[in-house]
Amino acid sequence: MDHFMNPRNVGGLENPDGHSEVGSPQCGDAMTLDIQVDNNDIISDIRFQTFGCAGAIASASALTELAKGKTLVEARKIKNSEVAAYLGGMPPEKYHCSVMGHEALTEAIDNFTTLRDETRKHLEAIVSDMPVELERALGNSTITIEHVHPWKVHISHMNGDTRKIKEILEKELHNRLGNLVEVKIG
Amino acid sequence: MKIYLDNNATTRMAPEVLDAMMPFLNDQYGNPSSFHTFGSSLMEHIEIARQQVADLIGAFPSEIIFTSGGTESDNTALFYGIGADSGKPGLVTSVVEHPAILETAGHIEQTGHPLGLVSVKSTGSVNLNSLEELVNPNTGLVSIMKANNETGVIMPVKEAAEIAHKAGALFHTDAVQAVGKIPVDVKAEGIDLLSLSAHKFHGPKGVGALYVREGLKLNPFMHGGHQEKGMRSGTYNIAGIVGLGKAAEMGNCFIAEEALKTASLLEKLETGILKGCSGAFIAGASAERLPNTSTVLFKGVESEAVLTLIDLAGICVSSGSACSTGSKDPSYVLTSMGISATDANTAIRFSLSMYTSDQDIDYVLEVLPPIVEKLRKISPYA
Repeated sequence: MDHFMNPRNVGGLENPDGHSEVGSPQCGDAMTLDIQVDNNDIISDIRFQTFGCAGAIASASALTELAKGKTLVEARKIKNSEVAAYLGGMPPEKYHCSVMGHEALTEAIDNFTTLRDETRKHLEAIVSDMPVELERALGNSTITIEHVHPWKVHISHMNGDTRKIKEILEKELHNRLGNLVEVKIG
Repeated sequence: MKIYLDNNATTRMAPEVLDAMMPFLNDQYGNPSSFHTFGSSLMEHIEIARQQVADLIGAFPSEIIFTSGGTESDNTALFYGIGADSGKPGLVTSVVEHPAILETAGHIEQTGHPLGLVSVKSTGSVNLNSLEELVNPNTGLVSIMKANNETGVIMPVKEAAEIAHKAGALFHTDAVQAVGKIPVDVKAEGIDLLSLSAHKFHGPKGVGALYVREGLKLNPFMHGGHQEKGMRSGTYNIAGIVGLGKAAEMGNCFIAEEALKTASLLEKLETGILKGCSGAFIAGASAERLPNTSTVLFKGVESEAVLTLIDLAGICVSSGSACSTGSKDPSYVLTSMGISATDANTAIRFSLSMYTSDQDIDYVLEVLPPIVEKLRKISPYA
């Protein structure tokens, strides 16, 4: 009941790493969900908004509390029964109300991984088929991809002009993806 | 604390009604159809009640048949009223009728009767042009409700009856929400059949009446011991019938003396909600409505969440739909008025009664706006 009266994690994130919109207000239930994911694939922040009944609000609040601090893989595995237990029980006729929260979380994670795969794909393409200026800036060294995030990638290289490499990669990724990606080197 | 604003669902039985009923639940337990005086003397009370009900709707006592309530009256009117005088099979009703009419009409259609459904205007009132188009020489019965249970919109029953009669059809009205709240005059409005239910105007549950215009004979719909001129057999529910009669008598007083007070409380409620809740609007605001009914749409705020929160604050109201089966159907009454399904899912119905006080409305206006505001903050559509 407290989660319905005072739902946690309500709202949206300014630049979410993953975003989802599920349900439809025509059918009386709809939800949006945003996640922020850190370098270790852990959900560091999560926010939702819902047009739904008390059950939907409370279960979304509980689900977001459970998902925060978990890895993406762990978050996907959160069960309906865990949400019910977290709320201190849920009447069976309200189970369907909590399904929407799971859908929203799964879709937001899917959205994040899709975006990340896209970024990774382009980054790998650039690294395996380097533009001449990047090759020149690297000297004889190669690039190792340390970590990929939709808008932040972390790479390392043995030697070469770090500032130049960062500049070229950011420009290349922007051209290919259409959005800004921050390149961190080191 | 309990504030009951769900009087279109059911009302509190008036203490006066209970008092009138008590003797017949106690020592006066005889069967009015019996030969002995102990039973047969009770028939007098049935006839007093019949007069009281007749007076409430401008009928003759001989035109009142007691039933088990609105649903039975509606079923009977449709099943046995279609072409009762002419044998014509067609049925025409409206899209905003209560399920007791719509479900019955759908069933009757399946048995081979042509069915026409009249549309409503954006005001919530039935579209008489649509009725004119649907009524034809084959139409045996037209059924248009007197007032809608969700919006409270009062329908142009007199005009609809004229259209029906011009085509040689009978006219029925489901007046369950209107009787006891606004004046109803079967003669002036040209009504052939009318359904009413006691518990909607402070009478007991499980009793109602069907008005059948003099000269019109319906086939028996309950076969048995020939009560109610053989049209509706079954041992008299004497306590219930006496209760209905008393409620009818009180209903006449309410209409004459107290309806204005209820209307002003409703206006206060609506004004306060519109002022306190941004984005709120009233369904059928421009139409003539019952003095006790208002359906408010709180844009972007799902109705069941509001219901749950104001229930916790002790306020009883209702919504047009229920979140119990997984997918919700928005109210067909509201969507047929051109309101979007999304908005229809935000509807809350407030229905007042003669027991609603000024303090009740003050309390609602104090509690409701912060609840709506809180839910708007959670909503992606507010």
